[in-house]
Amino acid sequence: MSIPSFLLRRTGGLLLVLVVTSFIVFGLMYLAPGSPLSFVLGPRGGTPEQIARVTEQYHLDDPLFVRYFAWLGDVFRGDLGDSIVYRQPVLDLLSGRIGTTAALIAYATILIAIVGVGLGLLASLRGGWVDQLVTTVATLGLATPTFVIGVALISLFAVGTGWFPTNGSGGGGLDTIWHLTLPAVALAVASAAYLARITRASVLEEEGREHVQTAVARGLRAPLVIRRHVLRNALIPITTVMGLTIATLIAGAVVVETVFALDGLGSLLVRAILQRDFAVVQAVVLVLVVTFVIINAIVDFLYTLIDPRIKLGSTQ
Amino acid sequence: MSKRTLMIVGAAAAAAALALTACSGGAGGGDASGGDGGDAAFELDFSSLATTTPAGTAPVDTVTWNLPYEPLSLDPMFTYNYAENTVISNLCESLMRLTPELEIENGLAESVENPDERTVVYTLRSDATFWDGSPVSADDVVYSLGRQVGADSASYYADYFSSVESVEKTGDREVTVRLTEPDALFEQAMSSAAGAIVQQAAAEAAGERFGTPQGGLMCSGPFSLAGWDPGKNLRLEKNADYWDAELVPLVENLDFTFIADESTAINSLRSGDSDGQFFYLPPAGLTQIEGSDAEIVFGESFTMWTMRATSTEGPFSKPEVRAALLAAIDRQAIGDVVFQGAAAPAPVLTGPAYFGTGPQAALFQEAFDGFSTEPDIEKAQEMLAEAGDVSGKIVLGVQGSSAVHEQTANLIQAAGEAIGLDIETQVIPVEQFGNLYFDETAREGLDGFFTTYYGDFADPLSVYVALAPEGTGNFTGYDAAGDDIAEARRTLDPEARAEHTIAAQEKITRDLPWVPFNFMPVIMVQNSDISGAVPSSAYLSYPWAATIGGVE
Repeated sequence: MSIPSFLLRRTGGLLLVLVVTSFIVFGLMYLAPGSPLSFVLGPRGGTPEQIARVTEQYHLDDPLFVRYFAWLGDVFRGDLGDSIVYRQPVLDLLSGRIGTTAALIAYATILIAIVGVGLGLLASLRGGWVDQLVTTVATLGLATPTFVIGVALISLFAVGTGWFPTNGSGGGGLDTIWHLTLPAVALAVASAAYLARITRASVLEEEGREHVQTAVARGLRAPLVIRRHVLRNALIPITTVMGLTIATLIAGAVVVETVFALDGLGSLLVRAILQRDFAVVQAVVLVLVVTFVIINAIVDFLYTLIDPRIKLGSTQ
Repeated sequence: MSKRTLMIVGAAAAAAALALTACSGGAGGGDASGGDGGDAAFELDFSSLATTTPAGTAPVDTVTWNLPYEPLSLDPMFTYNYAENTVISNLCESLMRLTPELEIENGLAESVENPDERTVVYTLRSDATFWDGSPVSADDVVYSLGRQVGADSASYYADYFSSVESVEKTGDREVTVRLTEPDALFEQAMSSAAGAIVQQAAAEAAGERFGTPQGGLMCSGPFSLAGWDPGKNLRLEKNADYWDAELVPLVENLDFTFIADESTAINSLRSGDSDGQFFYLPPAGLTQIEGSDAEIVFGESFTMWTMRATSTEGPFSKPEVRAALLAAIDRQAIGDVVFQGAAAPAPVLTGPAYFGTGPQAALFQEAFDGFSTEPDIEKAQEMLAEAGDVSGKIVLGVQGSSAVHEQTANLIQAAGEAIGLDIETQVIPVEQFGNLYFDETAREGLDGFFTTYYGDFADPLSVYVALAPEGTGNFTGYDAAGDDIAEARRTLDPEARAEHTIAAQEKITRDLPWVPFNFMPVIMVQNSDISGAVPSSAYLSYPWAATIGGVE
């Protein structure tokens, strides 16, 4: 399949997925009890007149389909609506936070790739006590909850040594990288540990294959064998896991964002769901779905680079 | 210490306290029960809580203050909660001003006159200007108050405007408010955000967006709004042209961060990333502040820890059952265990902070002294015997992820068990807890829920008015105190009003539609490099940061 038709098919699929998920999410929010009213009426509630007026203003009593299609119509006009709770356009709420979350996830992804693949290779190629050590550390990393790692990092490197700030996302550039270091490490630990194990397993599997044995028997130098024959094949599962990992990071980011007081998409979504802030939930879900689909497409594309036998868009 | 171990400690302490009360009760009473504060982290003298901290004298470039969450709006009429008012009190000024000592003085109004009981005439200062340099005019006052009048006003302070008939400009710097009947609360409320004056032109231009990051704000306070980055921070700047020379800030920039996680907030204060924070509930790690570069100040406070009754059926709808349960609870133990010593037992809803300084103070004190908080299991059992059938579950709403809520619930369950009441708890996420205040369906299946509360000025009536038949805190149709409350509100003479308020207090404390547990100080943490922040409840309406300076 050519690249344009691949993109076209993916875009079509994306639109379909967006409509379906947005309707399901909208429906679930609609059916769940509770309303965003308390955030409009204030902590001491409101008079019956105030409640009636606000319910009218935000169409909270309209039927599901009426509200959903009104929202959908607005989206097609490029209007994501207003947050009821924050009284501001959803787009403004998102724009400030997308950057933080994207930077955090990108940073964590780089750490995961370097540390995960690195440790996995080290364990599988060195073997012996190194293998033991890496496997133990990876197990520990997988078993420790993210928030525990986050709190420990703050105690050690923010309060203890004062090397890093305790919270916040900084003012851009290097300052942001400095601010996001501890959160990115906290976010990366579990996934890096997982990737290390996957890398180790797939490298060991490839090493046992016939063509690798043949290459070794023919006397090819070890680095060449590893690069050409082992790694290249092992990269397929590694890439798959990396793609999935980035997707799960978006969910995992919620915990890290809470611990480090980074207001990103994750914490915004959780809060908005609990606050029944329809427009915000919908917008964040749209952003997440688009991200998932794009990451998926990139992974599929990478397969074809790693292994020319895999055709773009094939379902293998 | 994790929340779980704290809970176990709490439960153990509850059991111990109960055992002790049971013992002393069995021995004919008289002895004080076990709550001597021996196991509490903090020892407070509640008769002398702080209202100020020593003034800082050096200019400071930036002070970073943390808020427990991001404000939802900065439009004064939509600010009725801790984070919002912490910010807005430095930005927007009201006609009157609540001082750090919790007294009321003139603010933007240089004089107030009452030609008769239903008329209030405000004369404005001539030297007050908005941040853009334009004078604060009578038109702005008429606009700011007028938009809060009427049944369909969106103001969170609509309660205080319920008897306002008209707000009119009656002179160059004169605004006259006419009331449908005398209202003792209206004039006092003008010292809170209810009386905050915003610029009409800016508010009308921004419309619905006024007070949001997009719509901005235009007020006349000692700090101006310099920027608001949603999700990141709020930035205030010194207003060098502020009319009151005493309150021109030494701080150039006041930055607010939004750290919701308690342990992160504490760590940020310990490391100096945050220069300060007000806590309305004591965070679990408060003791970790000691020994760092920050200090804890306990301030004079309007805040109390309570439980509201919500059901009209079942055992808990009976006043005798609520009274019996309260008699079985050791409020001193709640203060020592749950609040780490930073709370005093509350015999009634409104403590000494509300008494004021006039002739009414002695009356309130006398009434206050007539109540006791000593637990009395025997009396509790007697009351329960009078209540008839008390079988059936009592379900109490507990705010999620709050140690104070959970531990109080544990103590109360234990107390209930001791006298034969079956109490259960239901956890409600913090984001949805607010629905309980006005949404009947959210209260379904609950018999009560825990809540902090504060009045806006030193008058017990500002709290009790919520229990008028139409009051915002009256969920059970309670009307026994309705006439007294209405009468008190119509009575402008402080002493005569106190008599009516005390009559309402007697009935409310007997029937307990709203159960008092503890008085809580304001907990303020301030880095030792700075000083001068106001630690009393006035921080919710007084420019508490204008007095901050560097320590030389």
